[in-house]
Amino acid sequence: MQGNGFKIGTIVAFLALTIYYLYPTVQYQLEQNYIEDLSASEAAQYTEENAEKLENLRSNILSLGLDLQGGMHVTLEVGVPQLIRELAGENADELLNDVIDVADQRSIENNSDFIDEMVAEFESRDPDARLSRYYRNDAMDITRRSTNEEIATFLKTQRQSALDRAIEIIRTRVDRYGVTEPSIVKQGQNRIVVELPGVEDKERVRNLLKGTARLEFRLAADADEFRSFVNQTYEYYDSFEQPADTADSVVNNQFNPLDEVLVPAQNPYLFGYATPDDTSRVMDLLRNEEVQRMLPRNTTVMWSANPLPGQAGEELYQLIGVRTQVELTGDVIEAASVQFDPATNVPEVSMSMNSEGARKWGRITGANIGKPVAIVLDGFVFSYPNVQTKISNGRSSITGLDGVSEAEDLVNILLSGALPAPLEIMEERTVGATLGAESIQAGLNSILVGLGIVAIFMIVYYRTGGGIADLALLLNIIFILGILAAFKATLTLPGIAGIVLTIGMAVDANVLIFDRIREEQRTGKTIKASIEAGYANAMSAIVDANVTTFFVAIILFSFGVGPIKGFAVTLMAGIVASLFSAIVITRVVVDYLTQTKKSAVSFG
Amino acid sequence: MRWFETPSIDFNGKRKIAYILSAVLFIASLGAILTKGLQYGIDFRGGKEFVLDFEDPISVVELRSDLSEPLGSTPELKLFGSDSEILIRTDNEQEIAEVQQIISSTVREFHPDNPFIVVKTDVISPRFAEDLKWGALQAVIYAIVIIFIYILIRFRNWTFSAGAVAALVHDVVIVLGIFTILGDWVPFSLQIDQALIAAFLTIVGYSLNDTVVVFDRIRENSNVHKGMDFMPMVNKSLNDTLSRTVITSLTTLFVVLVLFIFGGEVLKGFSFALLIGIVLGTYSSLFVASSLVVELEQRTKQS
Repeated sequence: MQGNGFKIGTIVAFLALTIYYLYPTVQYQLEQNYIEDLSASEAAQYTEENAEKLENLRSNILSLGLDLQGGMHVTLEVGVPQLIRELAGENADELLNDVIDVADQRSIENNSDFIDEMVAEFESRDPDARLSRYYRNDAMDITRRSTNEEIATFLKTQRQSALDRAIEIIRTRVDRYGVTEPSIVKQGQNRIVVELPGVEDKERVRNLLKGTARLEFRLAADADEFRSFVNQTYEYYDSFEQPADTADSVVNNQFNPLDEVLVPAQNPYLFGYATPDDTSRVMDLLRNEEVQRMLPRNTTVMWSANPLPGQAGEELYQLIGVRTQVELTGDVIEAASVQFDPATNVPEVSMSMNSEGARKWGRITGANIGKPVAIVLDGFVFSYPNVQTKISNGRSSITGLDGVSEAEDLVNILLSGALPAPLEIMEERTVGATLGAESIQAGLNSILVGLGIVAIFMIVYYRTGGGIADLALLLNIIFILGILAAFKATLTLPGIAGIVLTIGMAVDANVLIFDRIREEQRTGKTIKASIEAGYANAMSAIVDANVTTFFVAIILFSFGVGPIKGFAVTLMAGIVASLFSAIVITRVVVDYLTQTKKSAVSFG
Repeated sequence: MRWFETPSIDFNGKRKIAYILSAVLFIASLGAILTKGLQYGIDFRGGKEFVLDFEDPISVVELRSDLSEPLGSTPELKLFGSDSEILIRTDNEQEIAEVQQIISSTVREFHPDNPFIVVKTDVISPRFAEDLKWGALQAVIYAIVIIFIYILIRFRNWTFSAGAVAALVHDVVIVLGIFTILGDWVPFSLQIDQALIAAFLTIVGYSLNDTVVVFDRIRENSNVHKGMDFMPMVNKSLNDTLSRTVITSLTTLFVVLVLFIFGGEVLKGFSFALLIGIVLGTYSSLFVASSLVVELEQRTKQS
């Protein structure tokens, strides 16, 4: 045993660390089992009394990936082109818009940086032109004379801070929504990865994440002008000839396509009503060049955010005529809360504005008594109440909501602040809790069966040596879990696959050693000398083989996302743990056995 | 128990046969990939996927025709594990919620007596898919370059690097070919997605593991048996390590088979790739990698 003291010390230390890191996981599971056996009221009481202890344990357990516990994984992208366009504000001209469009396309095609492409495209149009004319900003030291390079740096900083701000806002929204252990991280220059375990209402979360929270107050369109626009549009389509190939009947080819998709309205501010399926077809008809020409100046149409019930119980959305000019934006909102209309008990969002907002709001309402003001959020009209009197205390409310949860989410979004740029969902993956539970079961079964088969094979083939390797293998799996817990890694289904794979490959080091020992024995060496030579000679092959696999795992880790990263992490942990257990642990056991029981160790 | 205790198989003598076999497999795979194209999964192609778990078994063909009209195009449908779980793939570009709504209401309308829940959804925008594909490609290329360099440093001989990398490319191309050819015939998905890239890199790591052990023995033997010719020495090294190669391949094959059978539907394609990859990797480290080193050594000596 001489000389093995250090090895034994390391093993003990490693084991102690593993137990330390795995203790919360085991303890938490035991607590959960205990709580499950209690009745509902006892369970609630127990959880309440031990809240702190449970929370402490939970924050240190080996956490499961979304593919195992169920939940929602979303990758959002900050709309950089929109952000850059908005930064230019009123300075933006056709040239800039065109350059931005081209750069957007090109950066997607070439997988390159949007801002670099934009500068290159801008310079290719006129080498002497300066981007500074769009982005003058005294606070940021951007003057008329700033070079395009300086502007590029400035824009990149703006992009960076927009991303950081977006992450902050998303975090606030998710926290207010209430998700246990959400994870919100930056990915690359313009993406955010949000992981939300156990989320049920996907649509609600989607809106919560995406909503830019651009609240706008706009005046309704001029009633007379808008009415005549509606009539002209109907007249235009009255004379519209149905294309011959889609004609239902030859006799009646005079028809109005608007009638098919739109229910006419009496209200002078409404173009009409449409079912959710028809809204996009209505917009196609209105996008017609002739129709656009008839549209009154400074006027546009917007859909209502929530539907009204139609005569047959169908959902009908209203198409409302509003001004293009925005009178007031959500920046002025200081506080917001969910209130219930005392008469009808319908939820609404009540808002109060800062002094500047209140002043403007007073002026707007004062000048438009009797006319509707549209309250628009992210391009949809929530309500367009008629102004009764001048409102000078800066109070306003959003009605026409779809229930309490929408009101709560709206308050959440309004209070978290507006996103600096629109976010687009690039990737969304959800896994139901049942599928997750099935995957856990499948993973556990694979580990147990795999472990059993390999263990039996090793004993049959290598006898005592195999038994020792099996012991090492068992410890190996515990070590892997310990390493994962220590590094706060997440266990995913591919991660479990990595553990199963490690079971097969972990014995490799021992196979190399044992085969080498057998070889040395054949040359006539004593068992002791053979063991010594076997371990020594097998070492370089073991190191080379594992280092190369470790490289592969690192590459997987740096390029993979989500579950694949989990696979790479277990692979790495597996290599470290199996090297340790195959070389150090088996050696100590083999040495111990050969010294105490002389000939008892057989390598088959 | 001892297998292959003192084998004396003439690996290098038989290498011509191996060349023909490998060439046939490689060209057939390449042909399949070039004519049929790689069958990308949602990760690299983009689109929307929904897995519906029904209470009772349901007909894929029927469901496909039910959904074709409401979705505006024929969706791809496959069984997902059992015959009551169905994976639906569509390129319909409407909002996620709307597409799911269309699917749910259509299925409910046609099969009112067979309730279901949506257990899994994956939505990938085409642009994001493009990024993922690029990342995967980079990962594979980096892996190969780093392996080449590591072996070059460790064995100080470019022919070893070339032999190892050629064997890896051989393995990966043939696995890709088999996936492309078998894709339509097996009852589980063999589309190329991120998990499969992980499987490929694992195959690369595994195959390399075998190769490196042989190379290590060649290096050791060339120090011990100084006068020996290169080819017989490579052959001796292959035989020396044969027992270990077979045993490790077996234990790994066991666990991958277990994963394939017990690992659930999500891991089917992944473990199938590993299954083929391990057999191929063992074959290529015995017959391809060191044979190529022998060829290259002979060429460089002659010139």
